[in-house]
Amino acid sequence: MTEKLTNEETVTFTLNGEEKTAVKGELIIEACEKNGEFIPRFCYHPRMKPVGMCRMCLVEVSSPRGPSLQPSCYVEIQNGMEVNTQSDPVKKAQDGVLEYLLLNHPLDCPVCDKGGECPLQDQTLSYGPGESRFIEEKRHFLKPLKISSLVELDRERCIQCGRCIRFAKEISGEAEIDFAGRGEDTEVAIFPGKEFDSYFSLNTVQICPVGALTAVPYRFKSRPWDLEQIESTCQFCAVQCKLSVQSSQNEILRTLGIDSDAVNQSWLCDRGRFGFEAIYSSNRVNSPKIKKDGEFIDVSWPEAVEEVARALSVAKIANGPDSIGFIGGARLNNEGAYAFSKLAKGVIGTDNVDAQLSDGIDPNLIFGLRRATINDLDQAEIVVTLCGDLREELPVLFLRLRTLVANEALLLAEFSIGETPLSQYAAFRRSLVPGKVQNLLEELKDSFLSSFGRDDFEQKDGGIVFVVGNPGIGIDGLEIEHSIRALAKSFPNAKFLPALRRGNIFGALDMGLSPGLLPGRVTLKSHGSFFGDKWVCVPEKVGKNTKEMLQSVIDGTMDTLILLGSDPISDFPDKNLVLKAFEKAKNIICVESIMNESTKYAQVILPASMDHERAGTVTNLEGRVTHAGDKVTASGASFDDWVIASLISAELGDDLGFNSREDIGSEICSFAPAYRSTEKYFISGNDFGDGVVVPIAQVPVSIRARKSDPIEVPGLSSIERQGSPIRSGNSLPSSVAKVGSESQISFDNSMFDLNSTVSYKLLEEKRESSFYLVLEKSLYDNGTLLRESKSFENSARESYFKLNPVLLAELGVNEGDMITVSKESVKVKGRVVADSLVSVAVVVASWNQNSADSRELISLDNVNIVEVER
Amino acid sequence: MATNFFGGFKVSFKQISEPRVTTEYPKEKKPKPPRAHGRHVLNRYEDGMEKCIGCELCAGVCPADCIYVRGLDNPMDDPVSPGERYGYVYEINFLRCIHCDLCVEACPTEAITESKMFEFSFTSRADAIYTKRELLVDDDGKPKAQPWEDWREGDDRNTSAWMRATSPQGSKDYEGVVAWSSELGHGIRHPEGGQGDNRDDEATGNISLRETRKDHIFKNDGGRVR
Repeated sequence: MTEKLTNEETVTFTLNGEEKTAVKGELIIEACEKNGEFIPRFCYHPRMKPVGMCRMCLVEVSSPRGPSLQPSCYVEIQNGMEVNTQSDPVKKAQDGVLEYLLLNHPLDCPVCDKGGECPLQDQTLSYGPGESRFIEEKRHFLKPLKISSLVELDRERCIQCGRCIRFAKEISGEAEIDFAGRGEDTEVAIFPGKEFDSYFSLNTVQICPVGALTAVPYRFKSRPWDLEQIESTCQFCAVQCKLSVQSSQNEILRTLGIDSDAVNQSWLCDRGRFGFEAIYSSNRVNSPKIKKDGEFIDVSWPEAVEEVARALSVAKIANGPDSIGFIGGARLNNEGAYAFSKLAKGVIGTDNVDAQLSDGIDPNLIFGLRRATINDLDQAEIVVTLCGDLREELPVLFLRLRTLVANEALLLAEFSIGETPLSQYAAFRRSLVPGKVQNLLEELKDSFLSSFGRDDFEQKDGGIVFVVGNPGIGIDGLEIEHSIRALAKSFPNAKFLPALRRGNIFGALDMGLSPGLLPGRVTLKSHGSFFGDKWVCVPEKVGKNTKEMLQSVIDGTMDTLILLGSDPISDFPDKNLVLKAFEKAKNIICVESIMNESTKYAQVILPASMDHERAGTVTNLEGRVTHAGDKVTASGASFDDWVIASLISAELGDDLGFNSREDIGSEICSFAPAYRSTEKYFISGNDFGDGVVVPIAQVPVSIRARKSDPIEVPGLSSIERQGSPIRSGNSLPSSVAKVGSESQISFDNSMFDLNSTVSYKLLEEKRESSFYLVLEKSLYDNGTLLRESKSFENSARESYFKLNPVLLAELGVNEGDMITVSKESVKVKGRVVADSLVSVAVVVASWNQNSADSRELISLDNVNIVEVER
Repeated sequence: MATNFFGGFKVSFKQISEPRVTTEYPKEKKPKPPRAHGRHVLNRYEDGMEKCIGCELCAGVCPADCIYVRGLDNPMDDPVSPGERYGYVYEINFLRCIHCDLCVEACPTEAITESKMFEFSFTSRADAIYTKRELLVDDDGKPKAQPWEDWREGDDRNTSAWMRATSPQGSKDYEGVVAWSSELGHGIRHPEGGQGDNRDDEATGNISLRETRKDHIFKNDGGRVR
């Protein structure tokens, strides 16, 4: 339900005898609410289409035949309309509707998870009859019915408002849940033999106005009055949804999505909702560890930090600062990323720092593009996706795009390796083949855009938005970058939404955790001397990216690696390269929260606090800086990342100069050009709202009102009361911008030259019988954070290979059979999945799933050509 | 002089034939009134199932914040209580408890009730926190007496007296009307003597407040004091 922004026309109407104004086209229920009159409701949700099913919102509306009762969620407000929400007929109607809804509603309140925050309870108390006239036996169903591993359904409690069904149909586009039966036998049901296995299933639990749908991980964990909450930001993917983190007894129990118009519009993915469980993993690193004689022993912080500093000093003296490299950083918040950036570049003097694991896009390219916001999708006429499956990589961004394209609010052109949930809506789609990306994009211009007679969109501002990311491992990153550069050149007015997926990757890149960059989206070349004055030193030359670092370790030119919350063994495309490098490396130091494959190779492990245990700011894919709070105390002896960086730096003899995270915030704001004037977002205790998109626009951008559903998240109203309502859009902070006070540090994306040409290897033509291998990522895999979350520990699937059905016939295999994909002597087995949209030249393999690891077949240096056999 | 001297004993002589009011406490104890509030017990149904469903309403209503409850999914093969949820953790900190009995009023299943036993003291703070193990009645429906508690013969009969002495809905019309479930070891218990007349003291073994305080009440008012 996102309509394009138009100039708002107002109408006047009478509400309970008083003259009020409303926006034309608004529903009565919205108009009344904005004018301070809450109308009880169950089925109406501001983010979904109205259906008028529950009849709770009946109000008296003037009509030619006198006042009549009408559902206020279904009727648009008209000029001169007389609305009465408190007359006797309305009260009688409310009484009657509630009595009817309670007819079969069991008295489960004491054991129901919703009890205490239940709209049915609250509204029965406020508008209900007070006493029941029914003594008859109520309707009975088997309870609870497990409809997926995360959701349980109690049909007795259901009041048939259809919110869950509408969510599945309208928002997530997976109609796996629907009404069955008629009359009093109506029940919410899943299809026989199938599960409600949507990535967004737990949103239905949040919007259910009764306790009919409950979340398995939260079931019976606490009652609503036990919970304390803070407003925070999810850090599992780069969309960074706003959520409320709720805990009891210093333990996080659940999170609820907050309606942030600019970002997640109240939805969350299941992974983001219960991914916090990794905090309570039994493999948490709770104290610093040093490896002695092949065994990790727990040591004190001073001991561990001394060991790290000694290793770094020795490496620096023996082989120069370039022998030290930092890998990872997407799990840090901005403060942590800045501190480690300053440690690496400003204290040690190495530029071998990379937050990406050679599966993303060059940040020099990202910073040069005209960045779109998520809300720009609403305004766009055409959206072109050149990225992986958004549902797997950035789930809530997928929801927004899917809703828009399903409502025909925009035209979608899709470039993907295989079928995605968006393919069915695409007005134009091509399957990507390694080496041929550029040709396909030419087709976009020549055949698609011209066929719609939209030659003028090139000049039009915001008419076209490109969502660009890495569509799959196996397509040369340089080829993608080359294509994006070409797009930016042919569409100078288009906006780009970079679709990197790791949590705070954009914050890490903004803070300079990438070779050749310095904090605030500037390069070593342009701002090296500026930071040289402020810091102890800056690196002399541009450093290496992750792949080059690993190769240098094998060559022997580097010997010390610091892993910042990254696990290259299970997260880097070329596993063999990592293993070889780790065996060769002299020192591996892990700043890590959970033990994983890579920590086994560490000499020192420094425990870091995790999301929701540390306060700070994060930056999402739009460049939106928001606050992520600390709800619970950090586990064991864990420290925030910036503290760890400060400790190491102090031990090396150079104090970073940070006593609190606010110190870092003020340094970021004064040193990092793109973050200028964002001070207030770095100070704790402030009202952050939706945050701000950096660099702050010098012209205010229109702000759209929040559309929160007051009955969906009753607990959240306390957030509204405590701070000003959550705002959206690129709001200009009140204390803005002393423009040009220090002209040296202005941010200007033109310093990133899009015209520079990168040459990528044109792929060698494969033989007739062989295929290009491309790896696709999934939301659920064997990644550390998922594996360590109780609800998702078994969520990884069996390894699979996706092939075009034509090939299946040629090979003589059926869907579900096992096939062997081989490259030279390496053979990997997996199940066959037919995908008619995968090119016949390509085999798509799964990433980091169970039983077999397709990464064995991938090498970043060579073209990945594989053979397929039964 | 003599008049003054013996006049001083006037009250003593007058009272010498009156019944004794004092008792040899703690060797001997007076019966407690029906609405006395004492240490809590967690009751069971007659089939041995726990009445507590872990709904935390008692913890929510407690003004002293002394109750801590956590519920858990009821194992279907070996249920602890009827229904989906049971009280997995139940703790009362008796250093904090003010015996207001709001928890008893809030309880939807009459799981928590108060006995009349208030004579208990602790030598450590940990001892003052009663867990489910101490609070839950034993297999005969009797409260589990702790070594530091002073339970007397017959005290275990009165573990839910207060609740049964009042009206379940707070309305006078319902006083004495049975609206509670059966208890392990006791069956469906009789209403206690409250304000109304429809009580059966024989059945409950209850002694009314008027009876227990007879030595303090004047003859005119039905007591024994002259």
